[in-house]
Amino acid sequence: MLPIVKISNLDKYFGRLHVLNNINLEVGEREVVCIIGRSGSGKSTLLRCINFLEDPSHGSIEVDGVRVAVGGKGKQQRQLIHDVRLKTGMVFQEFNLFPHMSVLENVIEGPVTVKGMDRKHAVELAEQHLDSVGLLFKKDEYPNRLSGGQKQRVAIARALTMEPRVMLFDEPTSALDPELIGEVLNVMKKVAKDGMTMLVVTHEMGFAREVADRVIVMADGELVEDNKPEQIFNAPKDPRTEALIVRYRTGGG
Amino acid sequence: MSAFTKGTEGGVKSQGDLLFEAQQRQQRGFKRNVGVSWGIFFLIIIYFFSGQSFLGIKTIELNTDFIVKNIGFIALGLPQTLLVSVLAITLAMTLALLAALGRLSTIPPIYALSTFYVSLIRGTPLYLQIFFFFLALPQLGIVLTGLFAGVLALGLNYGAYMSEIFRAGLASVGKGQREAAIALGMTPIQTMRRVVLPQALRFAIPPVGNEFIAMTKDSALVSATGFVHEVMWRATRVGRAQFNNLEALIMAALFYWLMTLLLTYVQSIIEARLSKGDR
Repeated sequence: MLPIVKISNLDKYFGRLHVLNNINLEVGEREVVCIIGRSGSGKSTLLRCINFLEDPSHGSIEVDGVRVAVGGKGKQQRQLIHDVRLKTGMVFQEFNLFPHMSVLENVIEGPVTVKGMDRKHAVELAEQHLDSVGLLFKKDEYPNRLSGGQKQRVAIARALTMEPRVMLFDEPTSALDPELIGEVLNVMKKVAKDGMTMLVVTHEMGFAREVADRVIVMADGELVEDNKPEQIFNAPKDPRTEALIVRYRTGGG
Repeated sequence: MSAFTKGTEGGVKSQGDLLFEAQQRQQRGFKRNVGVSWGIFFLIIIYFFSGQSFLGIKTIELNTDFIVKNIGFIALGLPQTLLVSVLAITLAMTLALLAALGRLSTIPPIYALSTFYVSLIRGTPLYLQIFFFFLALPQLGIVLTGLFAGVLALGLNYGAYMSEIFRAGLASVGKGQREAAIALGMTPIQTMRRVVLPQALRFAIPPVGNEFIAMTKDSALVSATGFVHEVMWRATRVGRAQFNNLEALIMAALFYWLMTLLLTYVQSIIEARLSKGDR
């Protein structure tokens, strides 16, 4: 399988703190990869380096044939980063919907402003994606009238409407009330089933076990384990993985 | 059972209902008493200037002929006062926004220009600034009309103070909003224009309203140039000419007061409408 995301020798420092230590990772097309680990393990930072919300300190990122080596400068580098961002959709823990725009306006904002798509076409596309997350009937509402779960589903539709090659989910259910987590996970399962390549930073062990093709365990800025979910959850090799899944097992996850 | 008391109309009211009603009555009573007190103060002031003698205390007598004759002349200054204020607040908002954006810049000269402007303007009196544009610049061959000099000075001055409002507005837009825009592929300019500014401006509208109200009063300083025939200029002109400064200034004060009351009312409507659409 040809990798669609390829992370090579990636390092990230926050000041003197070494948060990502020589990460190498390949993700194949249509693969669903869950990244688990304790908070502070670097899993969110890794995800945010892929679309350059964080500037990596060293290494390179390649998404769908666009390779960005850290250290490049100027217009060309900015263009490469822009291309990577167009190929990746991101869903945030805090949803980050635009509060001054209606649901529909939120979803067409990217295609219209960034891609220069004509409004009519963008609305068609947006309505299609809102329908697939089950929220077409809310298209004229403003985000403050939605529940957390609905906001996150709109955020997923907003990212999908940009027609990315890869979806990045940064703890998409961590800010939700427990009873709202299910609806978001169900939408994510649907997105996975439709063949999207997904990288999901999550604490939802059930989701990782059920949906992921691969689970990656991070600790102290390193990948400590990378395997099929059955392996990770039934026969963890690294003691840090074991500690992590035991903790979630006893926590009811 | 003790939590319920038989209401007078026969309905059952909980203790909570009764306490709530008592609280409401108290609040209504307070508002009414404040209103009545305002009325009494107003009557006292009117009496104070009525010229009547009561219990051996002589009150101030105003020249009513003068008032009737000149009230129209002073009132004609209202459009001028509003014109100066509207032009100056427009200039001030533009400068304030630019200064606030300058404070976000990572380019040293732009950041420095923004802080330099704010520091210089806030470090000197508004009165001086008005005279500077009107009286000092002609020495350099730049002659501005009174109106233009006044608008420029007021706009520059308020712009410096209002830059803080816009800065707070920009700061009120969370980091997540910018990140969401960037992740969609927006450029920094698109992010600012489509996501950050609309939210920052909404945040800034109520305080800008306050500044506008303050400016209608500070616009009186422009009368010092002698060439802008707004309320203050007219009041001092007729007051001095006929030595009826007391009457003239009282009239001007009432006009300014009425204007601020009216503007405050308009502002409260705008604010209510904004908070309704708060999202």
